[in-house]
Amino acid sequence: MLPEDAVTVDDDYRTGAAFAARVPLDLLRDAAERCSALGFYLETITGLDFQDTFELVYHFNVYEPKSRIALRVLCGHDETPPTVRDILRAAEWFEREVHEFFGIRFADNPDLRRLLLPEDADYYPLRKTFGVVNAYRKREEIYA
Amino acid sequence: MPKKFLDPVVDQIYTLNLGPQHPSTHGVLRVLLDLDGEFIVRADPVIGYGHRGHEKMGENRLYKQFLPNTSRMDYLSGLLYNHGFVLAVEKLAGIEVPPRAQYIRVICSELNRISSHLLWFGTYVMDLGGFTPFLYAFDDREQVLDTLDHVTGSRLTYSYCRFGGVIQDIDSEFIGMARAFVSRLRSRWKDYHNLVTRNIIFIKRTKGVGVITPELARQYGVTGPNLRACGIPFDVRKMEPYEVYDRFDFEIPVGSSGDAYDRYMVRIEEMEQSCRIIEQALDQLPKGPFLAEKVPHRIKPPKGEVYFAFESARGLTAYYLVSDGSQYPYRCHIRVPSLGNLHVIEDVFRNTLVADAISILGSIDLVIPEIDR
Repeated sequence: MLPEDAVTVDDDYRTGAAFAARVPLDLLRDAAERCSALGFYLETITGLDFQDTFELVYHFNVYEPKSRIALRVLCGHDETPPTVRDILRAAEWFEREVHEFFGIRFADNPDLRRLLLPEDADYYPLRKTFGVVNAYRKREEIYA
Repeated sequence: MPKKFLDPVVDQIYTLNLGPQHPSTHGVLRVLLDLDGEFIVRADPVIGYGHRGHEKMGENRLYKQFLPNTSRMDYLSGLLYNHGFVLAVEKLAGIEVPPRAQYIRVICSELNRISSHLLWFGTYVMDLGGFTPFLYAFDDREQVLDTLDHVTGSRLTYSYCRFGGVIQDIDSEFIGMARAFVSRLRSRWKDYHNLVTRNIIFIKRTKGVGVITPELARQYGVTGPNLRACGIPFDVRKMEPYEVYDRFDFEIPVGSSGDAYDRYMVRIEEMEQSCRIIEQALDQLPKGPFLAEKVPHRIKPPKGEVYFAFESARGLTAYYLVSDGSQYPYRCHIRVPSLGNLHVIEDVFRNTLVADAISILGSIDLVIPEIDR
């Protein structure tokens, strides 16, 4: 499904995931469905804010030793990633969390109420343009 | 009697606001319950009352400065969170830890796990109306707190671990207290089982109540004792052994039906397994330094990231740290187990009685500030 160079294998488990796959936005749902069919559960969704793009990291795990995988999705500042809430229910709250902290809208997600912030919050606190920020970097400065 | 009193007075769904201040929610949790009579049709948990922005704080603090924050998320197993954070940073920055420090951390972590489970045991039984076991559990927990206080200097919000070791070595008095506690706790199992486990009221309130099926657990990402209660032996200490957990002989207690009773039994068994780990760690405790030398004052991990998972008292917890090579983390995300454990009640509450909802909420062992972060 994915090109060979999109997958990074981590044999030593240094990053905490057995392998990481770069998934384009339009294949995210397919990838999540495949993970779910293999018995994986969704551990968390992390948003990362870079100068040039957002990045979403989906960590999946299964009840076996050292088998965590990471799906990494690049998502431009004005793009809307597809929702996976109908594939794994855990995504309902994770997507609400990512939305309220980064302002990323998930397409076809009807429930993007604030989860942890006040319900009328009109700011996105984990964006690197909010509050005290030490560095706002381009993605390749960290993942060269 | 007039006929109007025999028929249902109203035929409608009404909404009950459980919380945010309610003794059984164990923190500031609000659950909107849509009720058909006494049966729950829909549950919508409302969280975030205790949101402090730990992830944002993580980004604008030095790695070392974030240490006190870690134990303030899950305040009942603060040392485990503290432990997990130093492990994550050590892995990211490649810091070696002396063996003695690793053993000390494991001993203290397991003592903290027991104190967390003991508090849960006491408050859960109190939710169900039993006041006596609460006093027994708090009496035992007090011994753990004294033991940990002796070496860490705090009773709840520990900041004991340091990058490369711990802040203070354990002494013979601590070892004596820890051993005495383990044998004391073992002598109490009989009382606990007589008071609670074989109590018919307790059994009726928990057996078959709040069943979490393995598929439901997978859908919502339930972990920890709640997951093991439905028969899946998944424990990070075994699956991704960190620190020195692979050197100890202990079992993963599992349940079979995933109801509140199984969750109770799994936690009770887990305390016994923690006792076994503590005993073995005390027996194997090596000599040597308790804090690595040559750990830089300001840590600057190389560019990259680490997702470090560990088993807290409530399940799989993880720190996801991204470093840009500076002395501040670029991103500090915390995966907390109680989030999934709470989310699952949307399904578990359906078609249960409000009285059972209280029992289920208690049996899941939530710590709300951990969810809110």
